[in-house]
Amino acid sequence: MEGTRPTEGAGEAVSVEFRDATKRYPGAAAPAVDGLTLDVPAGEICVLVGPSGCGKTTAMRMANRMIEITSGDVLIGGSSVRERRPAELRREIGYVIQQVGLFPHRTIAQNIATVPALVGWDRERARARARELLALIGLDPDMADRYPSQLSGGQQQRVGVARALAANPGVMLMDEPFGAVDPINRERLQNEFLRLQAEIRKTVVFVTHDIDEAIKMGDRIAIMRQGGHLAQYATPAELLMDPADGFVEDFVGADRALKRLSLMRVSDVDLWQAPLAHVGQSTAEVRAKLDGAEVPYALVVDGERRPLGWLSDRNLAGATVPQSPDHSPDPKVEREDVLRDALSDLLQAETRYAPVVDAEGRIAGVLSVEIVSEFLTSDDARVEEHPAAERPLG
Amino acid sequence: MVGLLTQLPLIAQAGDFVRPPGEGPTSCVGENNTVCIGWALDNIDRWVTPTLEHLLLVSASVAAGFAIAFGLALLSHGRRWLEPTFIGATGVIYTIPSIALFLILLPITGRGTVTAVIALTLYNLQIIYRNIVTGLGNVPEASRDAGRGMGMTEQQLLWRVELPLAVPEIIAGLRIATVSTVAIATLAIFAGAGGLGDVIYTQGLQNDVFKTAIVVGSLIAIAMAVCFDALYVAGQRVISPWRKVRAI
Amino acid sequence: MSLPPADVFDSFSGAIDFIFEPRDAIGVGGQVGGLEQVWDLMWTQIWISALALAVAVAIALPIGLYFGHRGSGELVAVAVGNAGRAIPELALIALMVAFIGVGVLNVTIALMILGIPPILTNTFVGVRQVDRDAVEAARGMGMTELGVIRRVELPLAVPTIMSGVRTGAINIVATATIASIAGVSTLGDFIINNANYGEDGLLAGAILVALLALAVELVLAGVQRLLTPRGLALEREAAGATA
Repeated sequence: MEGTRPTEGAGEAVSVEFRDATKRYPGAAAPAVDGLTLDVPAGEICVLVGPSGCGKTTAMRMANRMIEITSGDVLIGGSSVRERRPAELRREIGYVIQQVGLFPHRTIAQNIATVPALVGWDRERARARARELLALIGLDPDMADRYPSQLSGGQQQRVGVARALAANPGVMLMDEPFGAVDPINRERLQNEFLRLQAEIRKTVVFVTHDIDEAIKMGDRIAIMRQGGHLAQYATPAELLMDPADGFVEDFVGADRALKRLSLMRVSDVDLWQAPLAHVGQSTAEVRAKLDGAEVPYALVVDGERRPLGWLSDRNLAGATVPQSPDHSPDPKVEREDVLRDALSDLLQAETRYAPVVDAEGRIAGVLSVEIVSEFLTSDDARVEEHPAAERPLG
Repeated sequence: MVGLLTQLPLIAQAGDFVRPPGEGPTSCVGENNTVCIGWALDNIDRWVTPTLEHLLLVSASVAAGFAIAFGLALLSHGRRWLEPTFIGATGVIYTIPSIALFLILLPITGRGTVTAVIALTLYNLQIIYRNIVTGLGNVPEASRDAGRGMGMTEQQLLWRVELPLAVPEIIAGLRIATVSTVAIATLAIFAGAGGLGDVIYTQGLQNDVFKTAIVVGSLIAIAMAVCFDALYVAGQRVISPWRKVRAI
Repeated sequence: MSLPPADVFDSFSGAIDFIFEPRDAIGVGGQVGGLEQVWDLMWTQIWISALALAVAVAIALPIGLYFGHRGSGELVAVAVGNAGRAIPELALIALMVAFIGVGVLNVTIALMILGIPPILTNTFVGVRQVDRDAVEAARGMGMTELGVIRRVELPLAVPTIMSGVRTGAINIVATATIASIAGVSTLGDFIINNANYGEDGLLAGAILVALLALAVELVLAGVQRLLTPRGLALEREAAGATA
């Protein structure tokens, strides 16, 4: 997606606060949402996640009063939603649902311009805004006059997001917005939304049942359990490192250590350095360097410091460093790679060490499994938390 | 009461065919063996008034039926418990054969076009009402939820989302109602109104079974029904470009 | 147009009298009215309608089932339904009297013609609307095509089909009313050959016809309830379907 800025002054993102919000249905023994209290700072994505029946969708829908609050309150931008007329309140909130709910009888542009029309924008302005948003979400603006039935599922989802952004709301509510598409498209949509969020920084309350999606998308995650209770509200890293109880631990998954790795890049880690050798250099010099080095193998690099391979004992027995070392330099890992993928490459290739290169292919250091596990247990890991919008994308 | 009796055109007249002047016993009309096309065309003004009357009956009753059915639908929108009541009530009326309804209304509303229109309107109610309700019911729930979530009031949701999407179904109902009304209105003479029943019955059957009139009246009625049907199909294409017109 | 309340009640009272009390005919000798004559004419209407309906069902149901099962001929099935609506019953009877003749057989055929379209169309549509997955599953289990029709499609299509049968029946009963024009004396005789029956007879005929039609509708509704498979009835109830 291009970095087109919305020409309309970006609507101020506002905070969303749940204050002991409770929903009780008449005749039901337990509440659907039980005293939910959490703060979503302006400009952040808060993901509500949990098993079905945990009340996450109910809680989200209390924020725009699609479900009436029994007791407690929800504050948007500091003011209670209970004091606004529902229809007016909702026009200031972006609303995206799983089945999208585009209006089949209206064109894409008309769909996107729904809320602007409701709040009284004139047609020209609304239409221009629609085209702008189409570009923003990565669709050809000429699709403006097509009908929803002519679009694919993935395209419809994007239009749904564009429609929610049209009147520049300060808050977005999204209920499993990417749930109805296949996994490949879902990943693309997630990535594009995060790119979008990096630019426009809305406050988002996002509901999903998928913990991986929650970890990927959320600045903060609220894990809820049956009966509408909040089990834990924390950043993804905190959640993965310190689950509050057995339920959260189970829900997050047995592979939570690995999940943490998908939040980070290779560049976040302190790399080891291997002794470098140049073609034609005397092996005696290389052997001297190897003495006491962090990595007990020598890496041959070319004039540009690009890795050519590892030297074997046989290589070192010769007089000079050969052009083609015995061991291949692969797998080569890039600094910007997701740490989890890099580890996966390492394990797959069955090597102990992988050269890490920068964007130009030049050696930056060496990665190994030991480095990764050392890093995970160190305190540095806690500091390296990125906001969702800047996290490495798969 | 005797006076009233003599006014009723329902008295079957056996006996001599009332021949138009100048048509002798050996002319086409006189022999009454086949359809006299030439004569029918020459005397086209005999058919014009009944046809126009018929058009008036149909238009007035479909329009009135739509207005009332629409009102009922607005009432029962959001109050689902009313629907079976309305469908049941309009259904009872629909079950009663048209002649019977015309005659039962006679003592209450008198003879004439108004009575006929009232009866025809009552007939339309069920089919139009049902189709409006079905059309509104077919609106995807996701669209409704999205509409509300974006801040539409119930009224805005109804007029901007639900009704436009219900249009194809509503037009289908109007189409059926109109075609049926064209057929039923041939019996409007029993209520003392005009229409093509005048041609088929009064000028035809009661007139010593004058074949030409019977055929002409029947053809016009059927042609009118077909024309209305075609108009509706065309109209539906214009109004809902976002979907193909269904065969039904 | 006048709405005299007192006269209205008088008229209806007179009509009810006519139904129960025989009185002198107008213009000719003999008695008219009374339960015996009423029943006589009603019975004629009932049996000729029943006959025509039975034949109409016998013809339309298999055809509708066949094409509905195959999935072809939708345009024809729908066109027949539309055409049936466009034919005025008066025109049909009149044309028949003019060109074919009067009598029981001809009347029955005319009634049949008006009864077939709704039954045919509704049978076709009813079968088409049956859950395709259920049909697939049945075939997959080794049912013959006939078996699929008999055990899956037909039972599941009962509500729609019966709705068509009811419409057909009402069409037939309504047209049978004017069968007097074609020489078959039914309740409509009070209306058509009015000279002898008088105004009371006129209204009485209308009331009786209306009641007969409502009775037929009720009976068929009961039949529908009997024929609808229980599981289907429960499902429709759960979904909040209206009749």
